[in-house]
Amino acid sequence: MNQAKILNLVAKLKHTNNIKPRKLKNYRGPEGRIAMLQKSLTALLKYERIELNFNRADETRAYAEIFMSQIAKQGSQNQKSIDMANFWILENQIIYKLFNVLVPRFSNDVSYTNLYHHPNVYPGILRPKAILELKNNSFPKVSSSIKNQSSVENILLKESHKRHFIDVITQ
Amino acid sequence: MESTVCPVRHVPPSSYGRFRNACCATLRFQCRFSSTDSQKAAAQTAAIKSEWRRRRNVIFDNEKQRQQSEIGRIEKVAVKYLPWDKDEAPIEMRMNKHLSTPYDCTKHLTEDYTKTVCLALVDRRPWDLQKPFEQDCELELITMAHSNKSPVVNTAFWRSCSLLMGCMVEASFKDEIQVYLHSFPKPDLKSGSFTYDAVIDLPDWKPTQAELRAMSAAFVKLSNQESFMERLEVSEELALDMFQDNPFKNKQIPNIAQNHNGKIVLYRIGDFIDISQGPMVGSTGIIGKATIASVHKVESNETDRLYRFQGVALPKGTRLNHFAWSVLEKDARKFNDLASVTPVRESVTSAPTEVVSDEEKERSSAAN
Amino acid sequence: MAMSVRVRLGSQFRNIMRVCFHENRHMSTAEIVVEKSENPKEPERISLEEQQRLNDIAKNERMEKLLNMRFAYQEFLPDPNPKNRNTLKERLERRDMLARRSNVEIPEFYVGSLVAVMHSDPHAPGKNNRFMGICIQKIGAGLRASFILRNFIDGEGVEINFDMYDPTIQRIDVIRLEKRLDEELFYLRDAPPEYSTFPVDMEPEYQPEGSAVPVNEIKVPLKPLPWLVKWERMGMKGIRDVTSMLTEKRLRMSKLKQFNKPWEKYDLLKMYSETIPIEDQVEIFSEIQEKLHELEQHRYKMKRSRNFVKPTKMG
Repeated sequence: MNQAKILNLVAKLKHTNNIKPRKLKNYRGPEGRIAMLQKSLTALLKYERIELNFNRADETRAYAEIFMSQIAKQGSQNQKSIDMANFWILENQIIYKLFNVLVPRFSNDVSYTNLYHHPNVYPGILRPKAILELKNNSFPKVSSSIKNQSSVENILLKESHKRHFIDVITQ
Repeated sequence: MESTVCPVRHVPPSSYGRFRNACCATLRFQCRFSSTDSQKAAAQTAAIKSEWRRRRNVIFDNEKQRQQSEIGRIEKVAVKYLPWDKDEAPIEMRMNKHLSTPYDCTKHLTEDYTKTVCLALVDRRPWDLQKPFEQDCELELITMAHSNKSPVVNTAFWRSCSLLMGCMVEASFKDEIQVYLHSFPKPDLKSGSFTYDAVIDLPDWKPTQAELRAMSAAFVKLSNQESFMERLEVSEELALDMFQDNPFKNKQIPNIAQNHNGKIVLYRIGDFIDISQGPMVGSTGIIGKATIASVHKVESNETDRLYRFQGVALPKGTRLNHFAWSVLEKDARKFNDLASVTPVRESVTSAPTEVVSDEEKERSSAAN
Repeated sequence: MAMSVRVRLGSQFRNIMRVCFHENRHMSTAEIVVEKSENPKEPERISLEEQQRLNDIAKNERMEKLLNMRFAYQEFLPDPNPKNRNTLKERLERRDMLARRSNVEIPEFYVGSLVAVMHSDPHAPGKNNRFMGICIQKIGAGLRASFILRNFIDGEGVEINFDMYDPTIQRIDVIRLEKRLDEELFYLRDAPPEYSTFPVDMEPEYQPEGSAVPVNEIKVPLKPLPWLVKWERMGMKGIRDVTSMLTEKRLRMSKLKQFNKPWEKYDLLKMYSETIPIEDQVEIFSEIQEKLHELEQHRYKMKRSRNFVKPTKMG
């Protein structure tokens, strides 16, 4: 029988419904898994865009989202959030960056990260890869969404819309 | 009995299975060799039809061979390929004069290009993929994705669809029904459908839904063959000789020749040959989703049995919501009165496509 | 028949009287307001930003109030396992729970509180049974919520697991409202009997309304080994130091990381998967809040009216 715990309060994750923790195969067991995530999370906050295996990236993303939302909610003065930051972030200057740069940057956001599937390089290890990044970073965009307004389907739909509009007016 | 109800030859979709296929084949076989007079006559007309088609192809092949043999000593031209991405360096290629085509250039680049390129720009002018180079030039290659950079590719796509529909119309009807292809109006994407006018020896024919579906299936089947659009320029006399059996084309050919220095441009898809000024897309494989939406009867001075076939198609790889597609289909079903707006039907008579003017038009509309 | 009618009439009159009383009170407050308006202060001009800020504060307070309901009404939160979530099922269950609560008062109590339950029992003399004890566990979501009461009766430890929304329960009384240091008190099974012995006829202890629930910080000693559970590994706060009782090996084992799991309190995804997110909680509690408030008001009135009963003549 399960019952919801009530001690902590967390905001709803915006990016995923799958909250089942992954094992992230590791010879040190659950402790090693957490160590992996510590490394990835620190790297994410440091470099703002990193390349990982997909599983690890997705898992890191969930942790990053909850971490950022908790810190944004509790504020940088809260002892809880300071403890949390000390545990998860392995470098001191990144903790400084988190409280002074990232938290103000994300003050109005509901989600903090983007995840992209990354193509494999052949020949190589054909494991699904991903790019994980913080939002509003200073790098060029990963995916370019070029909208071709003069493609065949767009022209056809536009004209169809016009015709429909004229029909409605004349009626 | 069946012939009166459904004049369109049944084209079994693949899902119907082998059994259905076999049944149809047997039926056709029985029809052809049964003893009634009308069926005998039909068999005769079918034989004549295929004979004309074969003859046209032989003439086409001979003419092509003749033109190539006339080249004589092979000279080289320098073709400078300019990629769309400004960061990439241009590539210079040494190609054969009057022999190599932009399609040959794509083979030197990547396999992707050979499959997706629709049209070339040679010295900034639209150029068929199968048309040989004449001098040193700069080359740009256009896929359907580049339609925002050069909209002429959309027009070429629409024109190719019309041509392929002509091929479909000629092949789809039963042997005892006379079909003469007439012409197709100037392609205009904004009208919502591509068209082809054909004279069909039926007094008052309205296609059923099943027939339209069968025609659509035939169209898609043809496009899936991914056959090249071969291009050939011939003299007026030769064109007249090729289209002796078609009284309507026979009338149009002298007019076209007058406007284009006595030259007629022919396109061949598989074994189907038609007149058009072009340009066309490289192969029929570019065409993806397609529907033959409707057939309307058109009034004309020449004949009282002129029908306009209308369809709508999208390039391969386009992803469109099924509802949006149904809207486009519904639009294509309305009568496309483009030709009646401009009383002289472009047909093949009135200089099918000054591509440059097309481009200018689109540019001016964009500017507006 | 006639008797029942008279009783009903009596209650009707009482209601009317109460209405009159309330209205009079209302009138008196109205007068005070008029007095105040005679010497009005200068109206403060509130800027748009200030108003926005005030609105935000009010909104946050409302949220805070809703979220604080999670302590008293924990069983209204559904099972957090996403496989078991079903919004329709949850809503229907909540409706049934409220319906049950309108018949039987289920008071606020916690693990560590002393609770007495009166329930129907076909085997008991008089068909009813009353059991009083300390609540050692509260578990389950929705209609499946249950709690365990523990007491020593006739020198024998007795535990009864009650379903909170069981229709055989007639009455739940909270004898002493308090919390302990832990979320489960199963270690009382390994503690000496005096720590879970409570007199059955204890009088309820009343606390002033609106005061915080007191935490009983008692540390329970354990009986010597063997125990039912290796309590030294569980990290319980309510147990007295047990190192002197353990063998050297067990002591060493209890300090291993794999049992302590020091990372677990930082495991954010685990925390997330065990809780219902704020947004969902607000939705749930704003749905039930009104009905619960109504029930509380009704009960409050009934209590008052019960107090108004005329004193009977003593012989």
